[in-house]
Amino acid sequence: MHPALRARARSLTAAGAIGALVSGVLLTTPHAASAAMSEGLACDTSSSGTFSLTASDGYVSTPDGNSIYMWSYGASSRGFQLPGPTLCVESGRTVTVVLHNSLPESTSIVFPGQRGVRANGAPAQPQFDDGGSLTSLVQAAAPGDGSVTYTFTAGSPGTYLYESGTDVSKQVQMGMYGALVVRPAGHPDQVNDRADSRFTADKDYVFLLSEVDPDVHLAVERNQPIDDSAYTARYFMINGRSMPDTLAPNGASWLPNQPYGAVVHIKPYDAATNPYPAAIRYLNAGTVNYPFHPHGSDERVVDRDGHALEGPNHEDLSFQKYDLDVGPGQTLDVLMDWRDVEHWNALTNPVPTKLPAITDQDLVGTDTWFSESPYLGTKNALPTSITSNNQCGEYYHIAHSHALEQATNYGATFGGMMTVFRIDPPNGCQAQ
Amino acid sequence: MVLSLRVLRPSVPTALRAVAVLVVALLVCLLARNLLLTPADATTASVPQNATMEAQLGIRFSRVAVVGDGGLVTVTYVVLDAEKAQQLQASQAHPPVLSSESRKGSTSRVSLMKQGHSLRAGQTYYLVYENTRGALRHGERVTITDGALRLAHVPVL
Ligand SMILES: [Cu+2]
Repeated sequence: MHPALRARARSLTAAGAIGALVSGVLLTTPHAASAAMSEGLACDTSSSGTFSLTASDGYVSTPDGNSIYMWSYGASSRGFQLPGPTLCVESGRTVTVVLHNSLPESTSIVFPGQRGVRANGAPAQPQFDDGGSLTSLVQAAAPGDGSVTYTFTAGSPGTYLYESGTDVSKQVQMGMYGALVVRPAGHPDQVNDRADSRFTADKDYVFLLSEVDPDVHLAVERNQPIDDSAYTARYFMINGRSMPDTLAPNGASWLPNQPYGAVVHIKPYDAATNPYPAAIRYLNAGTVNYPFHPHGSDERVVDRDGHALEGPNHEDLSFQKYDLDVGPGQTLDVLMDWRDVEHWNALTNPVPTKLPAITDQDLVGTDTWFSESPYLGTKNALPTSITSNNQCGEYYHIAHSHALEQATNYGATFGGMMTVFRIDPPNGCQAQ
Repeated sequence: MVLSLRVLRPSVPTALRAVAVLVVALLVCLLARNLLLTPADATTASVPQNATMEAQLGIRFSRVAVVGDGGLVTVTYVVLDAEKAQQLQASQAHPPVLSSESRKGSTSRVSLMKQGHSLRAGQTYYLVYENTRGALRHGERVTITDGALRLAHVPVL
């Protein structure tokens, strides 16, 4: 396996630019890579198509100060992380995933949507014990360092869950899931095979949604029975983190086992300079619908469960949606751009009121993400009753699950399945 | 480092020496930068404590971090006294001020997360600040001021 946690450092300072010249010799340490402040999709890729994952246990932290015992898949070379590594492969390629098991019980991986899945060379299929009871949806790796090798042909371009096929409700709740991104052959900048699914090269995001009932995790940690009838999810996560940790960069030092952030960071649509949207890939590894939506913008749904939305003659069946209902086990790939529809400008097209009543930028009472000016790229003083959240005239739109209990940390608002989409001025974020 | 320094011998022509000095300077610069960025440094730098501040505000600051691709700052704190902490949460117009110790910059604009529910002692809560004009940067230090109360040298993650 060649695990390349593609960390993209955005702030290319002068020192950074010089650093890049000699970085081949000096700076290519694992530390430097993991500490880089970065956003967006961090892919594990492999030129041979082979990935080695280890199922193991570890702890994740929640924003309210809790520490939760989890099981998950980690790259064998890196160790435990939540969620499992985001595996990026090309459609039609043969993929090999070697699963090592250091959990106290059997575990496995199912790869829904992939073709010709085999386990240790045999067709992947449900497993039964001598009495005829189902033990696993697919061949499993035994506890105590057992392993199993899965092979498959990567399916149609899009996004897929991979997750445990053994004692599914328990193991998936414990954290046994990850995202598989299948890219169209020859078109890594498209979501699917359609040319109209093209997105801006590095504006590619995974939002893997999940939930945690800490009582289940405590029971497993203490080797006690799980009370299924008492199941109540208390934490809701995007990429294994809850708000405000979702705002933190990939590889944030205080979240050593939760490497993936969830901030979408784009610029306004512009036909000449920024013609393509961002791609956001929603996956639901939980038990209920997560009605996720960003404020201030629709998103165009182009794939469902790894299949392009198109008719038999390739008619475009994609559609604009505000509220994205991501069902359990489902994936939705969307394209999103942000358009400066009103073209407010302090000099040429001033907003005709003191403050525009844009509900989407109001949160609670006087709280707002307003930029101290209604104009993109401008900052002004606001009345003292208005707070703002701004660096250089950029906008932040909140994005969250509209089921508001899913936007909490153990009942405390706000938290959980929530993040921000950041829109910078067309010329980038220049401090004012 | 050692290898680079050995290049600096008297017999080396001036131009070469200048280049060597530049290289060394760069290496030092890069090394310092690299050290600043290692997770080991960030995670081991502990947040200072101020007993007077804790007694008056009912909270203990536990982390300051630059997030949102540089545009936002999260400040987390542990609630020690729920009633006092409630007042801090409620005084939305006057949140603690975060002042950079590396440049003339600060932020006092907090948004979104006043969490208008009852606080529980021992739990961690947070505020999201705007990072006004990029005042705070990863790897530096910040002073948190609330009225006459000051907490200096808080590491910025
Ligand atoms: Cu909403």
